Amino acid sequence: MLFNSLTFVVFYVVVVALYWSLRGWELRKNLLVVASYIFYGAWNPPFAALLFSTTAMDFWLGRQIGKAQEGRVKKRWLVASICMNLSMLGFFKYGNFLLQNFQWLLARVGIIYQPPHLDILLPVGISFYTFHSLSYTLDIYRGVLKPTRSLRDFILAVSFFPQLVAGPIVRAGDFLPQLEHPPRLKSNQFLWGLALMTLGLFEKIVLADTLLSGSADRVFDYAGPLVALDSWAGVIAFAGQIFFDFAGYSITAIGAALTLGFHLKDNFRFPYAAIGFSDFWRRWHISLSTFLRDYLYIPLGGNQVRPFRMALNLVIVMFLGGLWHGAAWTFVVWGLLHGSYLVIERVFRIFFEDKTWAGHPITRVIAGFVTYSAVCIAWVFFRASDFTIASRMLAGMFGGHPNGDMILTTRELLQIGIVTVGIIGLHWSMRDDSFETTVMRLPAWAITAIGAFMAFAIIFTQGTSNAFIYFQF
Amino acid sequence: MFFRRPSREEQIHGGPPLEFERPIPPAPWRGIAVVITIVLFVATALWELYARSMGYAPTLNDNDDLWAITRRKVQPESIVIIGDSRAWFDVDLDEFQKGLGKRPIQLAAPGSATYPVLADLANDKNFHGTIICSVVPHLFFAPPDTPPMERAEKNMKRFHNQTPAQNASEYLGMWLEERVAFLKPDDLSLQGLLNQLPIPNRSGALVPPTFPPYFQTEDPERRARMWEKCAEPGSELAKKIQQVWIPLFSLPPPPSYIPKDVFMAKMKEGTEKRFADTVDAVEKIRARGGKIVFVRFPHSGALKEIEDKITPRQQTWEPLLQMAHAPGIYYSDFPELSGFNCPEWSHLSAGDSVEFSKRLVPHLRAALKM
Repeated sequence: MLFNSLTFVVFYVVVVALYWSLRGWELRKNLLVVASYIFYGAWNPPFAALLFSTTAMDFWLGRQIGKAQEGRVKKRWLVASICMNLSMLGFFKYGNFLLQNFQWLLARVGIIYQPPHLDILLPVGISFYTFHSLSYTLDIYRGVLKPTRSLRDFILAVSFFPQLVAGPIVRAGDFLPQLEHPPRLKSNQFLWGLALMTLGLFEKIVLADTLLSGSADRVFDYAGPLVALDSWAGVIAFAGQIFFDFAGYSITAIGAALTLGFHLKDNFRFPYAAIGFSDFWRRWHISLSTFLRDYLYIPLGGNQVRPFRMALNLVIVMFLGGLWHGAAWTFVVWGLLHGSYLVIERVFRIFFEDKTWAGHPITRVIAGFVTYSAVCIAWVFFRASDFTIASRMLAGMFGGHPNGDMILTTRELLQIGIVTVGIIGLHWSMRDDSFETTVMRLPAWAITAIGAFMAFAIIFTQGTSNAFIYFQF
Repeated sequence: MFFRRPSREEQIHGGPPLEFERPIPPAPWRGIAVVITIVLFVATALWELYARSMGYAPTLNDNDDLWAITRRKVQPESIVIIGDSRAWFDVDLDEFQKGLGKRPIQLAAPGSATYPVLADLANDKNFHGTIICSVVPHLFFAPPDTPPMERAEKNMKRFHNQTPAQNASEYLGMWLEERVAFLKPDDLSLQGLLNQLPIPNRSGALVPPTFPPYFQTEDPERRARMWEKCAEPGSELAKKIQQVWIPLFSLPPPPSYIPKDVFMAKMKEGTEKRFADTVDAVEKIRARGGKIVFVRFPHSGALKEIEDKITPRQQTWEPLLQMAHAPGIYYSDFPELSGFNCPEWSHLSAGDSVEFSKRLVPHLRAALKM
């Protein structure tokens, strides 16, 4: 079920009304479990069974890890959990990709092998709920979380409908404690949750789907060479689209959870005002970047190793981060580009961090511009469906097609320009604050006017229930 | 992220500790919510009144979900109408039911190619019914990866993959569309209004063609009827739509990135393949006892001249019937089917569509040996 669909509106109203009218906390949790499975099953009912089976398995494995006395035994159960989760992810998400690459490798040594095409349907949100579930056994193994006694609570932690299919990646350790005591209905919290949902849907329906996605799709789907303006405009439109799409989903999820009394952490903090790439990853998809940091980068040695090994660790982490997004080499290149950016930044910091000019406002603005531009260049690989398209786009962006075609209308160029200047301006104006602090500074009439504008714009736009980009991951 | 060692708390939870609570900005939220609700209600009501004052009335919007719901109604022996917008506008389901003894299922879709739907029915092993297939050569022979093919494939994809949630959303949407006039994505949505802004484009820009504004109503069976405002003699709306058809039905220039002779050879190859694929599909349907009849619906004015010039009957319609060994009804071959005026050159008015359907039925019965 999509947040931007009429079915969700009805589903949400019924669930919230029932939830707050039920008295018993156990009953309410049962309701949320049923609602979450309906939410998920509304895509493809059989996949709800898959979700349940992996969750139940991790619940059991978590108990085994918790019960084991010896580190060696704990490790064995953890390996079982990792293998189970990653093999599920591998089969559904990477099955055909692995087969194709195997075929390619065999062809290099002269063996012609035609693998059967596996007609695998990707369960929506599998990358997200696998990580929700995996965080549980990993944290029990690390000794920072005790296994829960309630299978129902763990099922809810993994499948809680606001964050189930496209994040934020909520760790069991963050969610399970919230199930211990029933939240109280607080009107300000509830209404703030609704305000966040309105903002998220505005970002998705109005900004991503209406003002940006059409231009980005036309540029990336165009089979011929494009002039630099259209190439850059398409990439910048996609940079805006993916932010509004994914941040819009996250903020709607956070708002929906809040109206049910649950607190989810921020997933974005004004990323297009990042100065440098480590700063970018502190602001973009925070729940994924912290997951990779805690469960991959630090176990690999983190910063406590020699510089070369640290650089290698960064590249490994970003390589896997890229692959997490999709079973294609273009995603791997996207990840590797970000890994390289992080390494280059690290080298720059070693040489220039102490210089006085490094902290000068002009330097910071230039660094911010460079960061945004490099992030946009990386988006080319994220959005392009193959390397032919990516290389054609890059050639267009850097003047390789001076006689290329112009396919965007003046109106589309204006839309992209206005939205991009707006998003970058807003991100820079709020970069050192939280969103809540910014709202706090606004007078009540301004909050009312902005809220009414966004709510009416959603109705006025008549969205077409486009799926969120991150559903495919 | 990666350069600073996280605190113990961050190591555990990736952020602040367990007792993390989202801050709620202090503001008079109840009052704000009340005012927003009132403003939203008033603004929506005013927008609805404005839409109605412009002549818009509540009606369904055609989309892939409604198409998928209709496609699911096809039974093994159904009469199915497939093709483009001419069959969508010009067929009256009541008249066909009276004349053919069965209520047909309307699967023709505006601006879409026919082949993907024909192939799907041909591959549906249960189907052995009757197909009434509209032919507008420009759309029928549209090459792969062009908008007409993409529209048809989008409908097919939705039919095969429609989720329960999408199905439910469509029924909820239909309930609203039958009551609210401003739900017209082509004309009255933000995107529709932005498209209408008169902003000049760069010289030489290959901008997408303009599509006609909303000019029809549609019922839950997907029966389209021309909006009366468009059918009025000499209406401005009809004139506006006429001017939209001319570029849409004219031959586009070959893409700049493919040599012209290569492009023309590919086009020719594509057309030949479409003939062959259509014949295959027709044979599959016929082998199961199904029937098919091709129909050319009326068109007029400058649009007829363009179609006759670019896709002449001798190179499209006649070889199609010959290769497929299928019956066909070309409206201008029969006096009782000729003489209908298409107000915007491409479709019949709602009233004329009833009369045309009534007159078409005997020809269909004869062609299908009913």
